[in-house]
Amino acid sequence: MTSMLEFTNVHKSFGATKVINDITAEVKVGEVVVVCGPSGSGKSTLIRTVNRLEAIDSGTIRVNGNDVHAPGTDLNRLRTGIGFVFQQFNLFPHLSAMDNVMLAPMQVRGTSKSEARAMAQELLARVGLAEKAEHFPGELSGGQQQRVAIARTLAMQPPLILFDEPTSALDPEMVGEVLAVMKDLAQQGMTMVCVTHEMGFAREVADTVWFLDAGRVLERATPTAFFNTPQHPRAQKFVADIRG
Amino acid sequence: MKDLLLANPDYVTLLLHGLGVTARLFAISWVLAMVLASLLMAVRSAARPWAQRWVWLFVEYHRNVPGLVQIFVWYFGVPQLLPKVMQQWVNRHDGEFVLSCIALTLYAAAYMSEDLRSGLRSLPRGQAEAARSLGMNYRQSLLYILLPQALRASLPPLVNQTLALFKATSLAMTVGVADLMHATRQIENETYRTFEIFLVASACYLAISWLIMGAGAYASRRFSAARH
Amino acid sequence: MLDILRDYGLILLIGQYPQGPLGGLAMTLILAAAALLLSFPLAVLVGIARTSPYRWVAWAAAAYANSIRGLPLLLLVFWAYFAVPMLTGGGVSATAMMLVALVVYESAYLGEIVRAGIAALPRGQQEAARTLGLGYGATLRKVILPQALYNMIPSMLNQFVVVVKNTSLAYVIGVDELTNAAYQVNGQLLTRPFEVYALLAITYFIVCFSLSRGVEQVERRITAARRSRPA
Repeated sequence: MTSMLEFTNVHKSFGATKVINDITAEVKVGEVVVVCGPSGSGKSTLIRTVNRLEAIDSGTIRVNGNDVHAPGTDLNRLRTGIGFVFQQFNLFPHLSAMDNVMLAPMQVRGTSKSEARAMAQELLARVGLAEKAEHFPGELSGGQQQRVAIARTLAMQPPLILFDEPTSALDPEMVGEVLAVMKDLAQQGMTMVCVTHEMGFAREVADTVWFLDAGRVLERATPTAFFNTPQHPRAQKFVADIRG
Repeated sequence: MKDLLLANPDYVTLLLHGLGVTARLFAISWVLAMVLASLLMAVRSAARPWAQRWVWLFVEYHRNVPGLVQIFVWYFGVPQLLPKVMQQWVNRHDGEFVLSCIALTLYAAAYMSEDLRSGLRSLPRGQAEAARSLGMNYRQSLLYILLPQALRASLPPLVNQTLALFKATSLAMTVGVADLMHATRQIENETYRTFEIFLVASACYLAISWLIMGAGAYASRRFSAARH
Repeated sequence: MLDILRDYGLILLIGQYPQGPLGGLAMTLILAAAALLLSFPLAVLVGIARTSPYRWVAWAAAAYANSIRGLPLLLLVFWAYFAVPMLTGGGVSATAMMLVALVVYESAYLGEIVRAGIAALPRGQQEAARTLGLGYGATLRKVILPQALYNMIPSMLNQFVVVVKNTSLAYVIGVDELTNAAYQVNGQLLTRPFEVYALLAITYFIVCFSLSRGVEQVERRITAARRSRPA
């Protein structure tokens, strides 16, 4: 199986604080990785370096063979191949749900309006929001907004999608609907890297769990192995803590 | 009724003509000011530091010098700097209107560019990030995502500036522009019926001011950034 | 330009004094300060009226404020020029007329600032005061106004800068302030209008810019004080 995403000796500091400390890791095509760890461990920063929302100090990150942080890289083109779902959804409030989904294909790929509309309708239906197409973000609940955000990301048909704590800003009763959409995507073979606290999702859907602490990947295991028999002492503490 | 000022067709014509001049001065200045303000905002947000400093100086000058004085500088001062040929050309072609228009345009543009800039800065950073994450370049994110929202966010102060510009057109009368205020004074000088003519002028200004305020409120409601 | 400053600087600064009344920049600043001080009590009344629970009071105050704000200051100056002598039976100086115009103008704008300041206070303040048994008047005097006015100090100081600029219109009715002084200097020199008026603009710029920076300092102190005070 080929590599979709590769980290090689990646380092990053914010001022004096080391946030990513020599991380080398790989995500294969079709793999679903859940990144977990205590807060401040560098999880969000790590995935934000993948589409260069954050810069790195040294090391390489490759997506589909392309070096993300090389000076000559066509960043916009690269980003069309990397989907990103934000914790705060970041839908465009002045556009309807339909327009939010249609915008990038039309502007960046030059897709025709009718084609974009058809695709948007299908994607919104896929995330369960067909009837909300003409609604504006302000009229939608948090869970609905996040699902529109996922549809918007899917519209660019990226082979890799990154999720930055997609359900952390949602009220508990809406978490399930978003996780359901993510589960669907995983089952359809999407390559996904999710930073999340939702351990149930990790158990059910993930192929691999990465445990991050203080900028290092301390443990890499299948969900069953990780949650039942964590190896590293800090991982053990983490699993014990979240078990309640 | 015959006694009413407004019953006299000559004075009505004078007033209407003045109103026309006011309207023209306002409309031309406003359009040019909005265009200039957008350019200034673009420069202020993205260009090199030395260009940004010039814009800053432009804005600070026009915000700290009274509008009347700005008009004086353009009408009394600038022609002295122009070659004789241009001076004559300006005098023959409605010099006072053109120079007042320039002064008012720059005056309004300075304020409007600041309003646009703060509107842009009020947008959450996630908007730009989301646009870039979808693969849009800077121009596309500015044009489709940031600028539309910045305009909506700046709507209330921009409406205030529009109102201020409209009222500032009255200053042009001091350099001889035959606007509504000028016509009012002229009629007052001739008829000494000060109360009546001032009342009519006040009504005219109020009507248009309220129109602008109403249009602004409507636009605010319709395009409000917080569509909740 | 420097020679103009040297020769006529004193006139621009204080007008014809002592051979005549005080003028120039000094008169500009005095006029502005007087206008702001005199309009302040009126503005507080307008602000309170606009937030009054009695609907007709709020409506009347709003109508007043919106009407003043819809008229050009120049028209208000002419109104004062015509109306004040009528009301006082004549013998009023142009300076007094300008002061009336500025006070009326500021009562509307400053009143809006006071209104905004009152409205910006959390509703809990008024609710707490009323539950303790304080009447409407006492609530205003002891709880609402002190906080609102303190928070609005930067906005009010900014209005001072605005009024300084507005005094330039006094030129139109012959008050001897800075713009008029420059006009007179230009009348004497005749051949250097650009330098004279550029000097005028620069003078206003220095005065207003410095005042604005001073206001920013005050604003910073107040925001810091607000943050350290418990809610």
